[in-house]
Amino acid sequence: MEKKVTVQGYRETVKRTKTWSGIDLKQLYTPEDIKDFDYNKDLNDSGQYPFARGIYPNMYRGKLWTRRQPWGFGTPEDSNKQMKYLISRGNTGLMVFRDQPTMHGIDSDHPLARGEVGVSGVPLASVADMEALMDGIPLESVSATLLCASVVSPVILAQYIVCARKRGLDLSQLRGTISNDPIMSNVCYSKEVNPPELGVKIWGDIVEYCAKNMLKWHAAYVSSCYNMRDYGLDAPQEIAFGLKIAATYFDNCLKRGMDIDDLAQRMSFYCNTGIDLFEEVAKFRAMRRMWAKMLRYEYKAKKPQSWQFRFAVQCSGHSLVPQQPLNNIARTSFETLAAVLGGAQSIFTTTYVEPICLPTEEAQRNALSIQGIIAHETGVAAVVDPLGGSYYVESLTNKMEEKATEVMSKIDELGGFVAALKKGWVQQQIDRGNERYQKEIEDGERLIAGVNYMTIPPEEDKAPPGGILTIPPETEKRQIERIKKLKANRDIEKVKACVKKLYEVVEKGDNINLMPYIIDAVEAKSTVEEIMGTIRNASGLTWDAWDIRKSPF
Amino acid sequence: MMAKKIKAIISKLGLDSHERGAKLVAAALRDAGMEVIYLGSFQTPEGVVNTAIQEDADIIGISCHCGEHLTLLPILVDIIKTKKIDNIPVIAGGVIPKENISDLKKMGVKEIFGYGTTMSEVVKCVQTNCNQV
Repeated sequence: MEKKVTVQGYRETVKRTKTWSGIDLKQLYTPEDIKDFDYNKDLNDSGQYPFARGIYPNMYRGKLWTRRQPWGFGTPEDSNKQMKYLISRGNTGLMVFRDQPTMHGIDSDHPLARGEVGVSGVPLASVADMEALMDGIPLESVSATLLCASVVSPVILAQYIVCARKRGLDLSQLRGTISNDPIMSNVCYSKEVNPPELGVKIWGDIVEYCAKNMLKWHAAYVSSCYNMRDYGLDAPQEIAFGLKIAATYFDNCLKRGMDIDDLAQRMSFYCNTGIDLFEEVAKFRAMRRMWAKMLRYEYKAKKPQSWQFRFAVQCSGHSLVPQQPLNNIARTSFETLAAVLGGAQSIFTTTYVEPICLPTEEAQRNALSIQGIIAHETGVAAVVDPLGGSYYVESLTNKMEEKATEVMSKIDELGGFVAALKKGWVQQQIDRGNERYQKEIEDGERLIAGVNYMTIPPEEDKAPPGGILTIPPETEKRQIERIKKLKANRDIEKVKACVKKLYEVVEKGDNINLMPYIIDAVEAKSTVEEIMGTIRNASGLTWDAWDIRKSPF
Repeated sequence: MMAKKIKAIISKLGLDSHERGAKLVAAALRDAGMEVIYLGSFQTPEGVVNTAIQEDADIIGISCHCGEHLTLLPILVDIIKTKKIDNIPVIAGGVIPKENISDLKKMGVKEIFGYGTTMSEVVKCVQTNCNQV
């Protein structure tokens, strides 16, 4: 089955007449395809319920989407330098990736951290790392997204809070986002690190704390959509899984007595955009409409702000191809365009080197330019929802909603998202999606340049401009030294007291918000592993998820 | 006479969880009639080698996506050499820049598969390296 597809020449026709998710397309769409269409009910003007056309009346005339290219690798000092570089090149929001050990709740000197420190993110083991990372960056005037969607999120947020407090800043004025989606991390990263019960509890703690203390902060940032889609879901599944995971968090928090408007109005999503332009635009429009209906009628939220579906977008890493890497510039341009036509609030244009290595300066600069070109040269940002009213796009938007609704009903039948997860159904959907995708490529049903179409021999493929990024080799050593120094120079009695208190409140149970105790522990210079290990032990779990180290307390 | 069933270990190293490729390869090898021990994420080089010895595996396949090919994969190859079990071939795949391939091969990695590899190519390579073609 080693089918390489040859171009058919003059008589070449469109090869695939389905969307990437498999919806059969007609060759022409007419008024017949949207004959029950009711403008006020189905679309309405932008800024009006159900917000299908956009959450603000003037959209990009009021404020362009945020250009948010992420960074995070090497030591905190290395990343600090790079974040400042990105700001100087037109980045309008910060986004920080944590490294793998941090996200899994272990310190840089843990045996499983070997070879991973500062590799695919920045190590944030203690508040000292956060301070070095944010050095010279005015936290009062930037919007920072901290990416760490696992159960470790509260520790990362606490590090940021302690860092801001030390500078004398008012927490209620800070703008930014903490990715907070431990269910996604259970599916995509590690089941053992992110037990669902602990995850939903921690999710609620972060949201509740921010609702009281950090009103401008997006505390409920659900990144399932991007990650699970890139792991193998299709567009309608992305909608359904994202909304159902949000519903899981809501249901748990409502049981704790929290208010739906407090929960929903600071909620935002991290979505994916693939290369199927119209399907992606239809997906974003459908998702906005479904969210509005769900919040207004199912959850009885009263504030219109709660009905508005706010989302950031990242171009699908999985859609990019290592051969002839400059082709990826075309791919991410279309993907960024789809996000803009779909009304995104913030965009991360994945760089052309994504399938080869971590983003180089040259590739980052190019990604920012793609966004600049779309914003200021193409003219597409001047008019709200420019595809609204198209027979095709409206019909496809309806189809997206219909298919996503089917998937959501299936999840309900299985007993909700956590039950579906435990039954293995979620993973099965992801695996099936992958196998289907691979088969369609091998069968030549999907044509992808540089994979099964318009390929060149590997020896003719040139290295990408800007070269390959490598991690400074001393990172791990420097980072381990930093932790040793931190541990030697802190008031250990204070650490022990904070850890003991944290252990007690976790053990006591459910509705005590852990955030204040975590913040105290961070302030006393406890590390990520010390805090997460304590929370795990007090919940009846092993210190780390692999039972390698034990509590030092 | 039927050839002995090939026993392959498919694993990732360290904390990275991009399992999409590793799972596809595991499924393809199983479909081709091999016995596959799929270890998934969170494995150490020592752990993978020990499993290979205990299970008397014929080949080890490692999937790398976040730079482990420069850090943990060389450690694994080293252990195999030290333990003098380099009759067990190691192959790797995933996000591995072309620029690193010759060094990895010099080090002793038998074959490296990048994006766009068809599953039949992987199956063939495993069979060849286990002397069954």
